[in-house]
Amino acid sequence: MSARLEAEHLHKVFGRRPDQAVERLRQGTDREELRADGITAAVVDASFSVAPGEIFVVMGLSGSGKSTLLRMLNGLLEPTAGRVRYDGQDLTALSDRELRAVRARKISMVFQHFALFPHRSVRENAAYGLEVQGVPRAERERRAGEALALCGLAGWEDSWPDELSGGMQQRVGLARALATDADLLLMDESFSALDPLIRRDMQDQLLELQKSLKKTIVFITHDLNEAMRLGDRIAVMRDGRIVQTGTAEDILLRPANDYVASFIQDVDRSRVLTASSVMDTGVDGHEADCACATATPDTPFTDLCALSARLTHPVAVLDEADEVVGVVPQERLVAFLGGESAEEVAAHA
Amino acid sequence: MPRLPLGDWVDSGVDWLLAHMSWLFDAIKTVVEGMYDGINAALAAPEPLLLAGILAVIAWWLRGLVAGVLAFAGFLLIDSLDLWDRAMSTLALVLVATVIALVISIPLGIWAARSRTVSAVVRPALDLLQTMPSMVLLIPAILFFGLGTSAGVIATLIFALAPGVRMTELGIRQVDAELVEAAEAFGTSPRDTLLRVQLPLALPTIMAGVNQVIMLGLSMVVIAGMVGTGGLGGAVNEAIGQLDIGFGFEAGVGIVVLAIYLDRMTSALGTQISPLGRRAAAKARMAGGAKPWNYRPRPAFAVIGVVVLALVAGGMGIFGPSSGTKVNSATDVGKGKNITIGYIPWDEGIASTFLWKEVLEERGYKVTTTQYAAGPLYTGVATGQIDFQTDAWLPTTHAEYWKKYGKQLDDLGSWYGSTSLELTVPSYMKDVNTLADLKTHASEFGGRITGIEPSAGMMGLLKTKVLKEYGLQGSYDVVDGSTPAMLAELQRAYAKKQPIVVTLWSPHWAYSEYKLKKLKDPKNAWGKGDGVHTVARKGFAADNPDVGKWLRDFRMTEGQLTGLEAQIQKSGKGEEQAAVRSWLKQHPGLVDQLAPVT
Repeated sequence: MSARLEAEHLHKVFGRRPDQAVERLRQGTDREELRADGITAAVVDASFSVAPGEIFVVMGLSGSGKSTLLRMLNGLLEPTAGRVRYDGQDLTALSDRELRAVRARKISMVFQHFALFPHRSVRENAAYGLEVQGVPRAERERRAGEALALCGLAGWEDSWPDELSGGMQQRVGLARALATDADLLLMDESFSALDPLIRRDMQDQLLELQKSLKKTIVFITHDLNEAMRLGDRIAVMRDGRIVQTGTAEDILLRPANDYVASFIQDVDRSRVLTASSVMDTGVDGHEADCACATATPDTPFTDLCALSARLTHPVAVLDEADEVVGVVPQERLVAFLGGESAEEVAAHA
Repeated sequence: MPRLPLGDWVDSGVDWLLAHMSWLFDAIKTVVEGMYDGINAALAAPEPLLLAGILAVIAWWLRGLVAGVLAFAGFLLIDSLDLWDRAMSTLALVLVATVIALVISIPLGIWAARSRTVSAVVRPALDLLQTMPSMVLLIPAILFFGLGTSAGVIATLIFALAPGVRMTELGIRQVDAELVEAAEAFGTSPRDTLLRVQLPLALPTIMAGVNQVIMLGLSMVVIAGMVGTGGLGGAVNEAIGQLDIGFGFEAGVGIVVLAIYLDRMTSALGTQISPLGRRAAAKARMAGGAKPWNYRPRPAFAVIGVVVLALVAGGMGIFGPSSGTKVNSATDVGKGKNITIGYIPWDEGIASTFLWKEVLEERGYKVTTTQYAAGPLYTGVATGQIDFQTDAWLPTTHAEYWKKYGKQLDDLGSWYGSTSLELTVPSYMKDVNTLADLKTHASEFGGRITGIEPSAGMMGLLKTKVLKEYGLQGSYDVVDGSTPAMLAELQRAYAKKQPIVVTLWSPHWAYSEYKLKKLKDPKNAWGKGDGVHTVARKGFAADNPDVGKWLRDFRMTEGQLTGLEAQIQKSGKGEEQAAVRSWLKQHPGLVDQLAPVT
């Protein structure tokens, strides 16, 4: 499957003579040295690709350059160097007018503080993108209504943004992004301003919607738990650079460096890990003729624990063809829960 | 430090502009006067009661029943004070200035909001325009645009421009950056971002700016009145010039009514046209419940009401009385020719001006008289805006003006002389009889001589020469002020029999009003008295040989002048011409003597 969105060596430098600064960065000059010259390298050499239907999460602390990176993807910020391709089309080569057309039809955005227009009703907000496209009123109101219903806001069309709770406002923001039928959704810390329970709801709803809509989503967050929950793949950013890209389990079990390792300490591993990532692929110790319960590679870690508690031997992991692909001994569960990486666990075994 | 010749540069800049850019000023003048005449005609045409009704309906629509009733009452008050026409011309002036100010300031504010460079350039320019004392800008405005409406509008405009620009810029900059980004993220063009997001959200702030523009415009009306815009500002100036407290207060009340009306209407308009404001207002009404005094006509009704009243008003205007003046054909020398006379609100000026207005009208001329301060009056005659004025104190008192404008003026000779300048005390100051006596009474007078405008010729003379001659420099300070302030101070002290010494001149009505004593000047420090001259624009006498000859032959005796002044003083404000008429009746044959028909 070819990539929907590709970022190739993206740089964004603020300050005087940005081109020169990029050249210096390529030659290995440190970001701090540039800062001393009054130049801020917000994004340095970021490359990744996002497949259609994938949720790609960019995770990093504030100041890591993730929001800048996101704004280069739809051209709100012009990259200092590098390219952005959408379905193979080079967005960085487009004129302003062409770029606006792409933004109006193919790329939507959901904002951290919702960015709803206070002088427009909920329906008019949801219809905004279609209005920009020039869709006639009746049709855009119909489509806005559908998008609002999809986000669970049927019946609120004639309300005003300031009459809604934060969670509902962000649903309007989501409906506004979905109404245009753009395939690529850029979500900039979209759930960060919500309180934890609402945030969970919104994450669940996004995953639910994604099952049927299959949008391509680039999601920015500073919350690693959120990244692990939502992301098919995760890119971890630090100081403008992407330090690791991989699935949640890759990052949890095989952190690329100490920074990522320190980052994942607080993650609730039991929510992320599945049988496939903790099992021992050697089949030693498997009671082949045992008729007790087994797991699949997708079985969540917590379910594995429950299974293991009722067995005196390791839990068997079976694939679709009922072949045993691995076993999970209890001590392995404990080791992973204790925060050990894949290598450390292997070394003990 | 070397002396920077900034003033000279400004002078030569103004001269250059006058020489090379007059076509531009003429074009601006044409536009401004066209707008003003249009609006003024529209406001002046209907019966006052009907227009008051229209304005009240607008208030009802925008703010509710109470506001409508109060507006109607306010405008009735203006009408009953006989200030209706003046109020309407002031309203027209403010509206024209506001419209032009907004046409300039809103785009400029938008531009400044989008570009830091523009903002950085515009800001100090606005500071300059807003804080430069308006009188400083007034004289160049007269030079460029002539006396009257356009100079007044431009002066008002310059002053009122700043809040329009600032509030527009502020309003747009205040719009949440994330909203602007959201608009851009959905592919909105910069123009649509402005129209759909920034302007609607900035509207309350922009309307607050509009409100400020109007209010500042109204506050400039009085200053503009000094350049002959007439209206309520002119009325206030006349009242100040003649120390007529009552009339000044009436005109002031007229301005206040206009100000409150315009302020409340524009702020209500702000909530009416801004989407957010409309919502808030609707919510408030829901909360308040449907009470009759909360009822407001819907826009459609309001428009219909205004249109119906306007149509009725227009119809009445057609059948309204048309004014005409009777002219005896035998003595009709002027055949309706227009003559404009300007005057300073000094008694001999008023008396002689209205005398000539009456005489010339009897001879078939159409005469317009307008009151000015001395500076604008000279500028107006020099630029040909005014045909003549009768109150030039030459050669001493008005020497400065003569030096600047003498070449552009024709002196038609002195009609009264000689005048005298003096220091004067109330006659209850028994021991003070000559200037020399002042020296020993310095502490009694508090060491103060109450003076008039520092620009007046006699003030310079007093400070540089008279005080020195009598050795008074150390013991007395000359307090600069204005003629009305000096007279008010004299009146106050006189009533309480307190010691006071003022600068005064003869002829002056104060000598008949109070018992005063001119301090003798044995050393003749004040010099020889001035003559009161008639001064005309260059070429006036050649264009109007009859009038020119009459004015050259014009003389008045002290008895005639003080008699006429007393008659005018007795008849009161606004009745000057009637006073002249009845005075002329007591002096049969004088008209033929002043203006013989050959």
